[in-house]
Amino acid sequence: MISRRRLAVAAALSTALLAASACSGGGDDKGGEAASTELTVMAPLFGTAPDPSGELQQAVEKLIGKKLQITWVPNAEYGDKSNVTLASDKIPDVMVANEKSPSFVKAAEAGAFWDLTGKLDKYQNLKPANEQTAKNTQTNGKTYGIYRVRPLLRSGVVIRKDWLAKLGLKEPQSVEDLYTIAKAFADKDPDGNGKKDTYGLIIPKWPGNYASASPYDVIETWFGAPNGWGERDGKLVPGFDTPEFLAANQWLHKWVSEGLVNPDFATLDSANWNDPFVQGKGGMIIDVNVRATQLLDLFKEKNPKDFDKVTLVGNLLGPDGEKHSYPFTGYNMVIAISKQHVRTEEQLDQVLQTLDKLESKEGSILLTNGIEGRNFKADGKYAVPINQDDAKVKAIQNDVDKAFIQLGTRASVGLGAYALRPNDEASRTMREKFDVLMNEDLKTAVFNPALGIIAPTSVAKGQTLDTIIPDARIKYLSGAITEDQLKAQIKRWYDSGGTDIAKEVNDLAAKAGG
Amino acid sequence: MATDLVPEVVQPAADSPRPASAPRRRRSTKTLGRDLWRYRWLYLLLLPGLLYFLLFKYLPMYGLTIAFKDYVPFLGYSGSEWVGLKHFQELFTGPDFGRLMFNTLLLAVLTVVFVFPAPIVVALLLNELRINVLKRSVQSLVYIPHFLSWTIVASLTYLLFSVDFGVIANWIHGLVGGQKTDYVAQADWFRPLIVLQLLWKQTGWGTIIYLAALAGVDSQLYEAARVDGAGRWRQFWHITLPAIRPTIVVMAILMSGNLLDSGFEQIWLMTTSLNRDVADVFDTFVYYIGITQGSFSYATAVGLFKGVIGVVLIFGSNFLAKRMGQRGLF
Repeated sequence: MISRRRLAVAAALSTALLAASACSGGGDDKGGEAASTELTVMAPLFGTAPDPSGELQQAVEKLIGKKLQITWVPNAEYGDKSNVTLASDKIPDVMVANEKSPSFVKAAEAGAFWDLTGKLDKYQNLKPANEQTAKNTQTNGKTYGIYRVRPLLRSGVVIRKDWLAKLGLKEPQSVEDLYTIAKAFADKDPDGNGKKDTYGLIIPKWPGNYASASPYDVIETWFGAPNGWGERDGKLVPGFDTPEFLAANQWLHKWVSEGLVNPDFATLDSANWNDPFVQGKGGMIIDVNVRATQLLDLFKEKNPKDFDKVTLVGNLLGPDGEKHSYPFTGYNMVIAISKQHVRTEEQLDQVLQTLDKLESKEGSILLTNGIEGRNFKADGKYAVPINQDDAKVKAIQNDVDKAFIQLGTRASVGLGAYALRPNDEASRTMREKFDVLMNEDLKTAVFNPALGIIAPTSVAKGQTLDTIIPDARIKYLSGAITEDQLKAQIKRWYDSGGTDIAKEVNDLAAKAGG
Repeated sequence: MATDLVPEVVQPAADSPRPASAPRRRRSTKTLGRDLWRYRWLYLLLLPGLLYFLLFKYLPMYGLTIAFKDYVPFLGYSGSEWVGLKHFQELFTGPDFGRLMFNTLLLAVLTVVFVFPAPIVVALLLNELRINVLKRSVQSLVYIPHFLSWTIVASLTYLLFSVDFGVIANWIHGLVGGQKTDYVAQADWFRPLIVLQLLWKQTGWGTIIYLAALAGVDSQLYEAARVDGAGRWRQFWHITLPAIRPTIVVMAILMSGNLLDSGFEQIWLMTTSLNRDVADVFDTFVYYIGITQGSFSYATAVGLFKGVIGVVLIFGSNFLAKRMGQRGLF
């Protein structure tokens, strides 16, 4: 099955060609006047686009005292659309951007975006709340945007609770336990239909590259491999060039050959990841913790009376008996400010003040919860939805959940806004578990020391290089190539530019650290 | 020949007597202004068309200059630096070129061998059907796949051939036995699937032009042949086939220009981690490099290279067709 994203990308491609031929680049005469009363914005969207004259947008505009012109772009095609936008001469004043993507780095280094290094501290609501995250968002020592915070550690294993109970198994502590469970799920008929038609683990074809929080990356980290880049003998090496990486994949290879993994793992679209789990084909998913609540909701949809079928465990002990937890970057894209209209330091200050207002407590509540008394009421630390039968109120709720929440930089972890109260006991317990597991696993988190570093070679030819390792990994796991061929692919990475990247990463890290 | 699709009248110049041309040219320069004035309304009518081509077809070609620059959008066309043939050099000496060329050409060869003749065969078979109602309905039915988008075709392929729930995959497994084959993931099956998809989707549509050509065949020719004692096969060989030969040649020339177009959508939708080595073609490469990576100059250079090859192939095959005594495109 193909997600609609692919079609959208094809459409974006033709738009891109148009844009590339139509744009003239360079001068724009509108200047700063427009920027002072109006703010143009580009942000991802997860549903239908809000009405610009809707209640919520009005409320937000009133708060910041400026008109908003927002281009909402469906999340699935956000990367492509951003690249196309960067190639045009219509870069919005404020843009949610992946500050590590080659096209952004190129544009920023050519001067298309403001370097905000050291400029954010005087804005109460924009200054970084977490130093590690702030460092992660940097591009070779420069800060090009205000990060949108996400929980720093949310990796875990979602498991069918009722299957565990049926087979008399305990929640796993280590990777060996995980294997035992997977084996039992595949062989011992956990759904009790008398047929051998289940498997242990469900993994999808991952859309991202190496070190992009895929289940493979998480497992490799459990085995002691670096998260992305790691120090070996005083030098930074890519995680896939370590014995631990190989060990983890040998282990997974065994899973695949023993039928413990969904047979279509090389082609299963991550958009359909939940399906085999809810259909009772597979019993485990390694991913972000919120997938546990998602699956709970799906089971509830199927059977409102009997849905408490999911449990969540955190990171596992590796074969060495130690725990290495997989952390996330702590943020998801940044809000960057373009230099196209925002020309002077003075104008920049204005825009930052506006953003500061937007991210204040009041603003965060608008962006993440909505209008108090209209679509929700506050109950302690929770926001409880109200009046949801009213179509107008429903529209506000939709605008918040599917769109405006994307403009918030701090709210998703509850800073300055209310958390949404889960509406059943099982989800509430699960939610509460998130924090416990996170704090526990943060102690053993393996951070990527090279996150803030962008090697020039990877900007120049990263795209063809980036696919080498994840492709080889999937091929090895599915048995299309041998371990020696996997090693040969790692060598190919080095030969086709990886050697330069490794050298640049080490040099830049030395500069940043020294 | 009466069966010829291209009207005779369009090509008088080649055989016309030489002496006539010289004075005609002199006269035309003298009276150019007067002619322009005389046919002013016709020229006025021509103007919108000319403007259209200038504005939408030729002006955008200015953008091709970024193939010779290190284009940074923020700096614009004029601000970006000229780098000469750097990007072409990078392409031709880069590690991907050989693989891209091989994949693209192999797909082109497969298309020529399997996909190109398919509509001809189907059209000829349909032509032999003597029951008109049946002929018409079959004809309409085989058009239908053409109207489905590649996204749907690819989704169908995944549904039918995937290892976990694919109907056809399971059916073949039932027939052949042994290990289950993951058709959509395996590199070996990539090209056969692409060809199958093309055949399924485009064959019916392609028959239209050949059927049109066949409809133009004078039925008296068949009657005469029958009188002379020619059977079905002889009629086919000496009347039907020669009748559509010019059409086949024209279609072949047209196709040669698109030989390096593998069809971005189809290939891209069918690409997975496991078959990327055989799936990468110029079209998808331009996308990865240009859109995902943001290397607009490099991507443009690749696209330009493809375009130049296309033009060369069109002129080349047109020349060849004429050499072999066929009537070319121009």
